[in-house]
Amino acid sequence: MRYITFALAKGRLAKKAMGLLEQIGITCEEMKDENSRKLIFVNEELKLKFFLAKASDVPTYVEYGAADIGVVGKDTILEEGRKLYEVMDLGIGKCRMCVAGPAEAKEYLLHHERIRVASKYPNIAKDYFYNKKHQTVEIIKLNGSVELAPIVGLSEVIVDIVETGTTLKENGLEVLEEICPLSARVVVNQVSMKMENERISRIIQELRKVI
Amino acid sequence: MDNQYLLHTPEGVRDIYSVEYARKETVQKRIAQVMKLYGYRNIQTPMFEFFEIFSKERGSVEARKLFKFFDREGNTLVLRPDITPSIARCAAKYYMDEDMPVRFSYCGDTFINDFCYQGRLNENTQMGAELIGDATSDADGEMIAMLIDSLIEAGLKEFQVEIGHVDFFNGLMEEAGLDEQDRKELRILIEEKNYFGVEELLSKRDLPETLKESIIKIPQTFGTVELLKEAKNVTKNKTAQNALNRLEKIYEILSIYGLQSYVTFDLGMLGKFDYYTGIIFKAYTYGMGEAVATGGRYDKLLIQFGKDAASIGFAINLDALMNAMQRQKIKVDTDIMGTILLYEKEQRELAIHLAGILRGQGTYLQLMRRHSDMTLEEYVALAKRSETGGILYIDETGQTVQVINVLDGSKNQVSMDAFMKAKA
Repeated sequence: MRYITFALAKGRLAKKAMGLLEQIGITCEEMKDENSRKLIFVNEELKLKFFLAKASDVPTYVEYGAADIGVVGKDTILEEGRKLYEVMDLGIGKCRMCVAGPAEAKEYLLHHERIRVASKYPNIAKDYFYNKKHQTVEIIKLNGSVELAPIVGLSEVIVDIVETGTTLKENGLEVLEEICPLSARVVVNQVSMKMENERISRIIQELRKVI
Repeated sequence: MDNQYLLHTPEGVRDIYSVEYARKETVQKRIAQVMKLYGYRNIQTPMFEFFEIFSKERGSVEARKLFKFFDREGNTLVLRPDITPSIARCAAKYYMDEDMPVRFSYCGDTFINDFCYQGRLNENTQMGAELIGDATSDADGEMIAMLIDSLIEAGLKEFQVEIGHVDFFNGLMEEAGLDEQDRKELRILIEEKNYFGVEELLSKRDLPETLKESIIKIPQTFGTVELLKEAKNVTKNKTAQNALNRLEKIYEILSIYGLQSYVTFDLGMLGKFDYYTGIIFKAYTYGMGEAVATGGRYDKLLIQFGKDAASIGFAINLDALMNAMQRQKIKVDTDIMGTILLYEKEQRELAIHLAGILRGQGTYLQLMRRHSDMTLEEYVALAKRSETGGILYIDETGQTVQVINVLDGSKNQVSMDAFMKAKA
């Protein structure tokens, strides 16, 4: 039997996902050891392998078949735009993709004005402004602390994930428009889905029952 | 070195040489032979054509992913992203009045300008075939059988050819009467097997529950032939039923070929574009995250060039196939192994004469005059690192031939007379 490999987005999502997998009898003791420096964790009994990767890399691993199954946020899937089967909404890690900025920036979103948009998600931002709002904008790609951009005058608005909105509020920003809801998804490599149909389908079906 | 940058190739293209090239050539020959045995004739079309040939209605690749340039008159030219539209153009041009089927096969490089897919090449060799002017299920069967035979002959053992039919989806859409936007969205969701996305979209539409259920089931309907029977109970729609009957017929035909064990079905396989009009199929194997071959029926392509003819075809991505075979550790025998005939300059005449005889017998022979600075051992080392099987060494007397087997290191001294006699 071949190994089925899971790629999990590092962090909270991975822990929650492993919790769900445990409920359907898929465990990986090796992974619970927080001090372990291992990169790949194996469950020999079920012939499963697991590894943790940076969220934005999970779709890449799955697209190329280096992992058969991935657990990653919808934001990453949208941003990366890879060829994958997106088979399931795990309903965990729920949040929203939003346009945010100071209250007065609301005005900029009404008149197709050319404005600057800072984001960690240039593709999502571009798609939203160009194809949904038909507004030409200048996208500025940042890698973190995006909230800073409108405060220091780098951009008029930002496109970012909003969970509770506390960070925004503390910095005098607010949600101006909602782009889409987000949550963790199970993605599957297109070839694996066919070549290992039986095993992968069973995992998906069982996961559905516990959600 | 200042000109080091001259050694690099642009991103997305690479050199293929030596053993790797030989392996590719071997597999290419094997597949070409299968196509010949099925009675397909080779065709070569230009590497670049007018942009319009590959534009939206006819292309399988988005316009922004094409390599474009201009000719002196300012026409936009495109490096071909695939070969099917070129063949459709050819068939329409040279076989306009031919009512009977024509069969073409091809092998050529294709180009896609897409850098965001790092790790995937922009230049790929495609081998494919097109059967033009035959709308029957027999033609469908022949195409799939030829694809399976090609992959077996190439050396692949574990693979699947999965078949779908766009009309199953089209039939259900017809019945649902959804607008163009919804259809497009559903098509993508189903293609991505996004079950809950389909469910969510349909929950906002006013449709009969049973129909909703049938549509939600599409992305999950893949597997063995039994699923076709089950799918028949799902809908009474005529178009969808016809699609299922067609698939059953094709399975029956492939059973006659004895190839049914390689076949599975996926009613959610729709293709990204409105290119295909009937069956659509893909070949999958281990070690590759994407299909190694794709194909389908496109009955509306040739009419765009002015010839109303049904057609079906497939293309094997030869580079993807080679990758898969390498990752599955499938051995490909090559004929790269050759012999070096090494001589001292005094024996030039004898060496050239002998080389003529050996080449006449089909030996791949490199003829080398020994360089005065190089020892025999250095030539043996060269043979070792360049996949050469043996060295024949003629010394300055020309009386003997030293036969060196590079693989096991054995050496044999044979008199020239005896060697000639043996080779005569």
